[in-house]
Amino acid sequence: MVPHAPASLLVRNGALSVRLADEVARFSLRLAPADTGQAAAAFGGPLPARIGAMSQSNGRTALQLGPDEWQILAPPGDVDALSAAFAALPVPHSLVDISHREVGIVVEGAAATLALRSAIAFDLEAMAVGTGCRTLFDKAQILLIREAADRFRIEVWRSFADHVWGLLRAASREIDLDL
Amino acid sequence: MTSFRIPGKGRLTAAAPVHFTFDGQPFQGVAGDSLASALLANGVHLVGRSFKYHRPRGILSAGSEEPNALVSTDRGQGRFEPNTRATMLELYDGLAATSQNRWPSLRRDVGAVNDALYMLFSAGFYYKTFMWPKSFWTKVYEPFIRNAAGLGPAPVAVDPDVYASRFAHCDLLVVGGGPAGLAAALAAGRSGASVILCDEQAELGGSLLSETDAGIDGRSGWGWLDETRAALAALPNVTLLPRTTAIGYYHQNFLGLCQRLTDHLTVVPDGAPRERLWKVRAKRVVLAQGSIEKPLVFAGNDRPGVMLAGAARAYLNRYGVAVGRRVAIVTTHDSAWLAAFDLARAGVAVAAIVDARGTVPAGLVARAEALRIPTRIGWTVTDTAGRLRVESVRINPVAADGTVGAGQTLACDALLMSGGWTPSVHLFSHTKGSLRWQEDRQMFTPGETVEDGCPVGACAGRFGLAAALEDGAEAGRAAVAALGFTAEATAHRVTDETPLTGTSLRELPTDRDPSRIKAFVDFQNDVMAKDIRLAVREGFQSIEHIKRYTTTGMATDQGKISNINGLAIAADALKRPAPAVGLTTFRPPYTPTTFGAFAGYNRGDLFEVTRKTPIDGWAEAQGAVFEPVSLWRRAWYFPQAGEDMHAAVARECAAVRSSLGMFDASTLGKIEIVGPDAAEFMNRMYTNAWTKLAPGRCRYGLMLGEDGFIRDDGVIGRLAHDRFHVTTTTGGAARVLAMMEDYLQTEWPDLKVWLTSTTEQWAVIALQGPNARKLIEPLVEGIDLADSAFPHMAVAEGRICGVPTRLFRVSFTGELGFEINVPARHGRAVWEALHEAGQRFGITPYGTETMHVLRAEKGYIIVGQDTDGTLTPDDSGLGWAVGKTKPDFVGKRSLTRPDMLVPHRKQLVGLLTEDPQTVLEEGAQIVLDPNQPLPMKMVGHVTSSYWSAALGRSIALAVVEGGRARQGETVHVPMPDRVHRATVTGTVFFDPDNTRLSA
Repeated sequence: MVPHAPASLLVRNGALSVRLADEVARFSLRLAPADTGQAAAAFGGPLPARIGAMSQSNGRTALQLGPDEWQILAPPGDVDALSAAFAALPVPHSLVDISHREVGIVVEGAAATLALRSAIAFDLEAMAVGTGCRTLFDKAQILLIREAADRFRIEVWRSFADHVWGLLRAASREIDLDL
Repeated sequence: MTSFRIPGKGRLTAAAPVHFTFDGQPFQGVAGDSLASALLANGVHLVGRSFKYHRPRGILSAGSEEPNALVSTDRGQGRFEPNTRATMLELYDGLAATSQNRWPSLRRDVGAVNDALYMLFSAGFYYKTFMWPKSFWTKVYEPFIRNAAGLGPAPVAVDPDVYASRFAHCDLLVVGGGPAGLAAALAAGRSGASVILCDEQAELGGSLLSETDAGIDGRSGWGWLDETRAALAALPNVTLLPRTTAIGYYHQNFLGLCQRLTDHLTVVPDGAPRERLWKVRAKRVVLAQGSIEKPLVFAGNDRPGVMLAGAARAYLNRYGVAVGRRVAIVTTHDSAWLAAFDLARAGVAVAAIVDARGTVPAGLVARAEALRIPTRIGWTVTDTAGRLRVESVRINPVAADGTVGAGQTLACDALLMSGGWTPSVHLFSHTKGSLRWQEDRQMFTPGETVEDGCPVGACAGRFGLAAALEDGAEAGRAAVAALGFTAEATAHRVTDETPLTGTSLRELPTDRDPSRIKAFVDFQNDVMAKDIRLAVREGFQSIEHIKRYTTTGMATDQGKISNINGLAIAADALKRPAPAVGLTTFRPPYTPTTFGAFAGYNRGDLFEVTRKTPIDGWAEAQGAVFEPVSLWRRAWYFPQAGEDMHAAVARECAAVRSSLGMFDASTLGKIEIVGPDAAEFMNRMYTNAWTKLAPGRCRYGLMLGEDGFIRDDGVIGRLAHDRFHVTTTTGGAARVLAMMEDYLQTEWPDLKVWLTSTTEQWAVIALQGPNARKLIEPLVEGIDLADSAFPHMAVAEGRICGVPTRLFRVSFTGELGFEINVPARHGRAVWEALHEAGQRFGITPYGTETMHVLRAEKGYIIVGQDTDGTLTPDDSGLGWAVGKTKPDFVGKRSLTRPDMLVPHRKQLVGLLTEDPQTVLEEGAQIVLDPNQPLPMKMVGHVTSSYWSAALGRSIALAVVEGGRARQGETVHVPMPDRVHRATVTGTVFFDPDNTRLSA
């Protein structure tokens, strides 16, 4: 999905792997915080109730990004079912399909944090596993999700993905050279 | 050349030989040498010429404060660097260094004539000399100054190196790897806290690397150093960064560190970054920067071979290099005596220790006698001699009343000086922490701090090894204890340390006229003591003014060597205490830093984000020429073989008007506005009325700022009662969304409506031309494309080429047109399918230039090109887009301000040149009478101007004062070739009745 990019970047000793994530369906869900209880039925489980927190059900993941904002990741075949479920939701809300707006990049390995530190200013060590946030990667806005201690997922608007990929390539080279 | 390296001495005894050249001459050093130590090992002191007088200069120091020994290096392939400090340049095999500021050679330099012409070049020389006549400025003075200015030559090739950067967060950052910093890192590191320790040298150890007398904890100093470094390296929570200079200390404990990664390597791995800028946010900081030795001010103190005593001690004890065969010492501080003792024990003849103080600690005198070193206590140095290297010094006794007696000549090949030590308060000063002047010690020490940072050891004015270790350990403990760690301040026992005392003399006593001697204060900028006194006599009182008038402290060393001496002399001349004269401000970076380090990854392809559409790759393969539009690159035109831009655009325009063109409009900003209050929100944000717009229909939307001026526009489709698909200009997408969010969150939080950027969700293919419907009819499912069912300004959801689409029937060309939105990952496939299927209509891809021409033929404006932030809807001829009965919208009230209603406002009009072949310049000014006297009154300017193939002539849009009332009048457009006549017209040049839109 990233034009001109190889499918993955690998560092010799296995300390780092950077690859494009499998395609997923993505939605931006906007809704008053008081209405999250009703939205749980449409989502298929409780929505996270703290900014940065995530919840999963039926293969769907919801990440709370703001007081009234969630990003939902779901299997690609789930678009119609999820849209229909929310269409029936009786409270005011906005569900917008942004499946194609973004590209997922998985950064994994013992050096994952080190690679990300080339372009992310906040303290990644302090980021809990199973949380996510909107942040800056150099000049590109991204979502950063810590899926495991040594695995992160970047969600980035597609036209910014080349820039993110290029920086990760540069960081990979430093890690490969152990410099 | 005889080697000055002493076998068995120093830390590099087992090191491998390294070959290098200086000014083309081959030399040999050893691994671990700096260029300075390697040159000294070969007996080379003369390394450069000074900035102004071209005086021969040698190596003054052994550290990053070096003002004299600046060289150029060339690593090949454009890797040229001027002004590298030889004291910081690590030797590598094949290093080629050259001296600077000399012609034709370092030993015979024509520019040295300046030295004899001192009276022409004294303080304020530029201000006094280059005054008049005015005409001389550009032709004589400026070329002269430009030629004379600067040190080494600026590099001309593009830097081929890559640079890295890294963010880091830690509990404690320790700046400086000397004894104080090591003790701090050890105490903190053992608590488990995360610690970063950085030091600008290749090897951690600081002053311990040059110290051989004292023992620590029952071991030798070096033994303790080895153990401590190993202990720190074994702690996983401690990061050791040698070759890393802390260049700046910013707000809230944010520090910049520049790490040199590969400059010291003979073979650099392919693609390895040269330097890395660390951006560190530390919870606590310990500053252990140490101190810098002060030169003494006396005649001839800049002659090669005259150097700081501490530097000579470092060259001897660390590098095993004697700086001379017969060395003299002049000092006001005990530390220089230690250098003399070390040299004498290493077998170097010490000509004499000349101490300008009246009394010296008895223990030192006894040790000197034991080593048979002659001492001259209460003596002064009044001159040095030697053409390119010191050969002798003139020493004189000073009586108790200050009378300077007759001079004697003392032969030597090196003169070591020490005026005491200045705490390095640079980083502390970056934080705007206050400094305290200590009159008795003639130094500034850190006072109140404004950051969570703590200066320790010599940089806090607490000198000596034992004090440094104690201070550092306690600061390390306290820093992490404050963060909740359990830490201990390990006590370190120091043995055989000589307590050091000293006094400060601003200038050594002399028997000569002080206004005639050349006693240097700022070596790099060639500022002498008499220059500072002259500045004071000429009326300068603040050190900041004296600095700028004399240039003292303005060199690349930022006054590290010269500031305190300069201040003391200025204070004396002004008869004021030093704090009243002031200290110049230290600013980042601490030492000169490469532009590359600051740029980091952001060069070449990564200089800035280049946004590309899903169809970009296809356009590139077709040979499209691109243009940047905000961060996007867009296909500008698609030249075929042999076509220039003019021909390509003419062909593309003709294809759209006659059959069919296709255009990548994916960059258009898109915002999905959803919620029960969506229409109300639209009513407030846009000038138009939205309530009655039916789902499935589109409307042109116009957005104003609060000031009533046009901010953005775009076609907006209503997909459902509670859902709008908004488009914005390409460059305005982020700005419009931010403005909408701002109003929504701060003015109307009660509205139940949400905004989502969908710019990149959709790829957009514009099909324009009379055959547009014929092309897509067989490809579209679920939408009746008949004109009656799907008229101009309709929108519907369905499928095209098998994928979902939001299909808009809109036109930015005046032709029958569709804008096909498909999910971005399908964009290129749909584009290619349409291109294939469109071959029977001669489908022609076109770029932004053709788009601009076609819309201009129809008088459709482009916000930002035909508007400039001062045009109202009415000015632009868009009054029809304002919902006049709406109670309010952003900008409504401003539209009724009196000056918004006057008739002579600039209004958008068309212009047709008298000569149809003339294409006016965009931006050209417009006047009513070309014969009026200068300066002419300009009544407007050309905003858009093109050759129109459809009309067979040029067309232009312009804003003209009261333009709509001037229809048919002639205006004049001065251009570089001549003044052109043009007729004011309406803005629609082609198909004014819009018959083609509904074809």
